[in-house]
Amino acid sequence: MQAGENSPAFRPVLRPGRRFDALAGRRPILVFEHVHKAYRADNPVLRGLNLEVARGEFLFVTGPSGAGKSTLLRMLYAAESVDSGKILFLGREVGRLTRESIPYLRRNIGVVFQDVKLVPNWSVLENVALPLEVLGVAQRTVRQRVGQALERVGLGGRGSERAGVLSGGEQQRVAIARAIVGEPAMLLADEPTGNLDPQLAVDILGLFEDIHETGVTVLFATHDRSLMEVRPRRVVVLDDGKALDVPHGLDEAAPVLNGRTQIAQRVA
Amino acid sequence: MTSLERAWRGARNDWRLHLLSVFSVAVAFVCLAASLVVVFNVYGIRQRWQCTGRVSVYLAPKATEEQVRGIESALRQSSSVAEVRRVSSEQAQRELAGDSPDPIVTALPVEAFPASLEVSLSESSGHGIDKLAAQLGALPAVESVETYQSWVERLARVVQGGVTASAILALVIFGSVVSVVSSTIRLALHRRQVEVDVLKLVGATDDYVRRPFVVEGAVQGALGAAVGTVFLALLFSIIRSRCDAAFGALMGCAPVFLPWWIAVGLVIAGAALGAAAAFISLSKSLGS
Repeated sequence: MQAGENSPAFRPVLRPGRRFDALAGRRPILVFEHVHKAYRADNPVLRGLNLEVARGEFLFVTGPSGAGKSTLLRMLYAAESVDSGKILFLGREVGRLTRESIPYLRRNIGVVFQDVKLVPNWSVLENVALPLEVLGVAQRTVRQRVGQALERVGLGGRGSERAGVLSGGEQQRVAIARAIVGEPAMLLADEPTGNLDPQLAVDILGLFEDIHETGVTVLFATHDRSLMEVRPRRVVVLDDGKALDVPHGLDEAAPVLNGRTQIAQRVA
Repeated sequence: MTSLERAWRGARNDWRLHLLSVFSVAVAFVCLAASLVVVFNVYGIRQRWQCTGRVSVYLAPKATEEQVRGIESALRQSSSVAEVRRVSSEQAQRELAGDSPDPIVTALPVEAFPASLEVSLSESSGHGIDKLAAQLGALPAVESVETYQSWVERLARVVQGGVTASAILALVIFGSVVSVVSSTIRLALHRRQVEVDVLKLVGATDDYVRRPFVVEGAVQGALGAAVGTVFLALLFSIIRSRCDAAFGALMGCAPVFLPWWIAVGLVIAGAALGAAAAFISLSKSLGS
């Protein structure tokens, strides 16, 4: 789905001092070109990875532990550097962003982690409001938008509760609310259901799909095959440092996942 | 939420850590302020001795009564002279023997104590003492003139030494304040690592992340300096209430505490040091 392509709310700002990049809307939101990454020289995580993601897509990123799912996502928001190759986010090369520009990149990307990364002694409202406070949004607007975000994740009216006392599923919902409250162009989910029971995991996936319906590009990293079976979407399998693209769900890629003998499509 | 509100929330959550830091900074500032009090008072004594001068004009044994009266009269007419007192040889011996019960002094012949004119100069006389002493010394009835300037010079050297020692002490204390505050801020940063990680993740600039910590560092420095100065002021008032008379008799003037502008300067210096220490320590930590 290419939802939200003409959405007036799409106003990515990628450099300090700029209002937004008007050309950004016409480019693929994300392009990986021959991306190499190695933590140890003899054991590269990514070896010439190529991938293109259109704006408004929902994409599962899967693969065994250590395949580079988290690394791929971390490189997107410049928490990891690229050894060689290019990652283009809305046409801008992430690896060439200056230290001052990286926060502006991150304001366009919402991130949700397995370990939620909430400040436990803060209230739900304070946790969710953080991206808006960083943007300098007026307090009244902050309260209004935080309220809306909490409604969307099913936690309306729970803003005053301390984040640390919520259940795992609720904490993950708060983390999702925090990721979407700034209306990012792209949402990255790094094993967000890893600590949840299967039913809760499906509920959380449903939330991401609802968010995706509003035009947000979603990259959902998971190794939970059942989730990908519940919702057949484009799947990118990280295998041997490269991306195997399965456009219509895992069923199509069963041979790939079972024996690595066939490749459904290697993304150029 | 403003930086001040974020700083307040952080300080409230880690209040024990901040209290310890304030206490350490306060101890350092007590030492610095104490050295400044000493230097300030010695400087005050020197200024007083320099301005309200005293001159002893020792008369030659062959000086006639007429010559002595002439000198005395000329001195009284001078605007820089407040008082002239004539001390005979017998009087000088009595005064010295009265102060010192040493039998050797009382056994000395009266000729050993030259007669003198004790001249008290007015406060406005300033640097005219040397000129007056030179004029008096040239008179045939005068054997020698003692202006006590050597004491003022010695005090000036003491003040100079005190200033140098205080400057070195200040450097050591500033170093310790920077060390204490930066360690506290690093620890606070470590305790709030999740908050910092999340802030950076949602697009906060380094300045935005750093600001509340810098405010906390500045407040620690300022509070430490203020607590140290107030504590020293209390200590000073207690000591002065018991020893004021003794100090007055010894130094010729009552001891005073630091003027308000130095006290305020210490607090500002504490705040600036705290902020700088926090800024520097965070620059390293946020860069990694």
